[in-house]
Amino acid sequence: MRSRPPQAADPSPVRRGDRWTRWLFVAPAATYLLLFFGYPIADNVVMSFQQYTVTSFYTGDAPFAGLRNYAAVLSSSAFPRTLLTTAVFTAGSVLGQFALGLAFALFFRRRFPLGGVLRSLLLLPWLLPLVASGTTWKWMLDPDTGVVNAVLRGLHLTSSGVPWLTGTSQALLSVVLVNTWVGVPFNTAILYGGLQDIPPNLYEAAKLDGAGPLASFRHITWPLLRPVVSVVLVLGVVYTVKVLDVILVVTGGGPAGATETIATQSYELSFRQFDFGRGAAMSNLLIVLSLVFAVLHLRADRRARTV
Amino acid sequence: MTSPARSSARRIAALLTGLLLLAPAATGCGDRTGSGPSGGEVTAITALDYYTDQAEHAQWGDLLTACGRTVGVRVEQTSVPGASLVPKVLQQASSRTLPDLLMLDNPDLQQIARTGALAPLDGYGIDADGFAPGIASAGSYQGKLYGLAPNVSTVALIYNKDMLAEAGVAVPRTWDELKAAAATLTRPGRYGMAVDANATFEGTWQFLPFLWSNGGDERQLDTPQAAQALQLWVDLVNSGSMSKSVLNWTQADVHDQFVAGRTAMMINGPWRIPALEQDADLHWGVAPVPVPRLGQSPVTPLGGEVWTVPQNPSKARQQKAAQVLACLNSPSNMLTLAQEHHTVPSRTAVAAQHVEANPSMAAFAQSVAVARARTSELGVEWPKAATGIYTAIQSALTGEQTPEEALSHAQQTATGR
Amino acid sequence: MKRPPGRGGPLSTLVGIVLLALMLFPVYWMVNASLQPAGNTLRGGWFPLHPDLSGYATALRDQGRNLVTSLVVALGSALLSLALAAPAAHALARFRLRGTKVVLLGILTTQAVPSIVVADALYGAYNDLGLLNSHLGLVLADSTAGVPFAIVVLHSFMRSIPEEVIEAARMDGAGRLRVFRCVVLPLSRNALITAGVFTFLLAWSDFLFALTLTTTDTVRPITLGVYQYLGAHTNHWNAVMATAVMASVPAAVLLVVAQRHVTGSVAGAADK
Repeated sequence: MRSRPPQAADPSPVRRGDRWTRWLFVAPAATYLLLFFGYPIADNVVMSFQQYTVTSFYTGDAPFAGLRNYAAVLSSSAFPRTLLTTAVFTAGSVLGQFALGLAFALFFRRRFPLGGVLRSLLLLPWLLPLVASGTTWKWMLDPDTGVVNAVLRGLHLTSSGVPWLTGTSQALLSVVLVNTWVGVPFNTAILYGGLQDIPPNLYEAAKLDGAGPLASFRHITWPLLRPVVSVVLVLGVVYTVKVLDVILVVTGGGPAGATETIATQSYELSFRQFDFGRGAAMSNLLIVLSLVFAVLHLRADRRARTV
Repeated sequence: MTSPARSSARRIAALLTGLLLLAPAATGCGDRTGSGPSGGEVTAITALDYYTDQAEHAQWGDLLTACGRTVGVRVEQTSVPGASLVPKVLQQASSRTLPDLLMLDNPDLQQIARTGALAPLDGYGIDADGFAPGIASAGSYQGKLYGLAPNVSTVALIYNKDMLAEAGVAVPRTWDELKAAAATLTRPGRYGMAVDANATFEGTWQFLPFLWSNGGDERQLDTPQAAQALQLWVDLVNSGSMSKSVLNWTQADVHDQFVAGRTAMMINGPWRIPALEQDADLHWGVAPVPVPRLGQSPVTPLGGEVWTVPQNPSKARQQKAAQVLACLNSPSNMLTLAQEHHTVPSRTAVAAQHVEANPSMAAFAQSVAVARARTSELGVEWPKAATGIYTAIQSALTGEQTPEEALSHAQQTATGR
Repeated sequence: MKRPPGRGGPLSTLVGIVLLALMLFPVYWMVNASLQPAGNTLRGGWFPLHPDLSGYATALRDQGRNLVTSLVVALGSALLSLALAAPAAHALARFRLRGTKVVLLGILTTQAVPSIVVADALYGAYNDLGLLNSHLGLVLADSTAGVPFAIVVLHSFMRSIPEEVIEAARMDGAGRLRVFRCVVLPLSRNALITAGVFTFLLAWSDFLFALTLTTTDTVRPITLGVYQYLGAHTNHWNAVMATAVMASVPAAVLLVVAQRHVTGSVAGAADK
């Protein structure tokens, strides 16, 4: 089944004025993006090749450092671990958000009293300033006084409590959990929008053919949702890789650097150690990584769809 | 659509090249000219600090206004949260928009002074005569005075009198007494001891009294003295006398634990006293930080914020700012501030006067007199050592590394390898 | 069951409420904390048995103006993002422009750039242009998240508008602008509202630009207002949480209203 009508060629003959009109559609957004991203990226690339110190800010004098910042960042003893943490954090959060988001979207597609209101309320986690909600999570996950361990103890699932924020692997799980919670509203809303666009008559036809809910999900919902899924996943990864605030608020990258990702490392290099050259190198690395992922994913996705 | 991937890859390359060509136009941070009127009479100056706390912001605001009035200017005060002060200062330094009067946490002064962004205070007839040596050294860079703090502080052991009495425990003076007392004071829902061991400079700051009092030194972190100090914290956590959550607590969190009765003792500073006093049911006392062996005196880090005058194209503004700075550091204002914030005046003579009127400040005043500035040995290299120290604390308390391993790693961090 | 996607009854409502209660427990916990007396979160229980409204009083006094600033900036950013993104998304979806792929990839690149990189560079530029501490400056900066996002969302929706619909309008002699205005935009209402809601939320939740691009408290969004409470020597957790709760109310109302319009279906409408 084809999910989309083929992208037909523009049927009208191309006139000169017409071509100009077409670019007019793109020009404002393009100009904006070039100004607000082109300049910062260029700035960051330059910075990553310079030896930046606190003094450079005042004097404007930062000697050219060649590839030294990149070499320092890549050869740092903490780097492999940071990379792994970034991968686990990203994969865990994106999968968690997507699975829950899809489940909620499918659930809310059913029409029932108060459905719309409940669906809107689901967006609340996004409306709350992260400093506040992150801190609340920190309290809830506190090993001694937190409500999460209190419930687990009450249910006799654990006697001593889970060291959510003080155990190195548990802390990583905690930030994944919190970031998943923060991201579910986004995933639900986008996937819900995608589900709305699937023509209902397809389901009617499938039902007439005797297809059950599972079969209609496999043969109608999933293939037709694919483009939206693809957008959600790619954006999810690209957004998650650079997540900073959740980690900084909940664990501060600790304990013992267990929740340190490339993004938090880049922030720390720049804003705690004021080594902006290395910080910039780190963030460029982040940009390249998520770009490589996006391109690979989109290629794989296209191949999967054309087969 | 033929081979979309390869052609798009080529286009990305083209795009990136384009961006690189754009780059030279985007540099040039330092060549912007300063703002502010260069001529005419100065009627207002700006001040930047990190006193975001409502009461504190108001108190400092009043003092700045009063000092401004004595020299004939209005002072416009802005406060940013502590963690964003230095990033903000760097931004402002690069765009030449620094305030006329700038407050800095004392260990940051040397780094900022090194950039050349601050004006030496000797040009305005301001010197550090009569100031405690620790604060004079923290305010100086390469022999020149750049900043002065009207009042200073350090940390001490704050304990819950009722809990100690009920458990029949005397105020601990040594590490062994501390361990024993903490163990006795621990019961369900309550720990004996609390510190801030988080992965920031705050964690380092709280560890320093233990490191320094045992003869440890930030120039050489992989020593037995340092390992013993770290072992003390590890023992407190492993024996269950101290929550493992100290890994995440800020000093404010430690305070909350204490006020809520969840810890019997804590390391904290005198700036907590106003909040502690709000609770009428809480009976607390202050003692020096316990030392390794009886008879030693604790060596604690010197806390406090220095006021500085950033370089400004308008010498008239600079002059006014320096006058306000001098006013802030006058003996009478020192006393006012010390009274309001429960800190210690940084002029030794004024401090003695203050203790006479407030005997409860004696423990802090004694400690401050011998307190060591964090930058006194390493100067601008201090942040690296500080990073190494908190990293070591975290590794040791989580059990990832032994104190010895953690500290030898810290030494590598400190020396920049 | 008439519609295949399913029609649930009160049972679904019940399940929905339970699921939502689990999801929103942290929100309840914030409300609970906001009703505790100042600086005493550790003594608080499961329920605010002795609700104390002083947190709200403090929050209202300190943050009322910031709330308005946040609303103005977020609405401005949503409008700007849609205005820039809609025509671009249409062009990318419909016209066979050269380099469409590069543009889309470029947009994706922008999403990979950490905001802090953008914020840092903008500070210098804003300082020269006098855009620091201005609503316009924040609207422009916050839209760095909104514009690319809206393009991606709108592009994927607009591609699904059947070519025949456009063609039919073109046959009737409508120009490109007219097709866009009278055919594409109405058909994309659902997508526009979705994108609008999300760009609003992206700007609403911004913290970093507010922190970097304001130096005084004249234009201060609520997220920064909350942050201001932290790092203080005495904790204002009840005020922090009260602010957070208060801040979510106007935005939540707006969302409930907007969500009501996200019912139509692009493809469904196009079928008729």
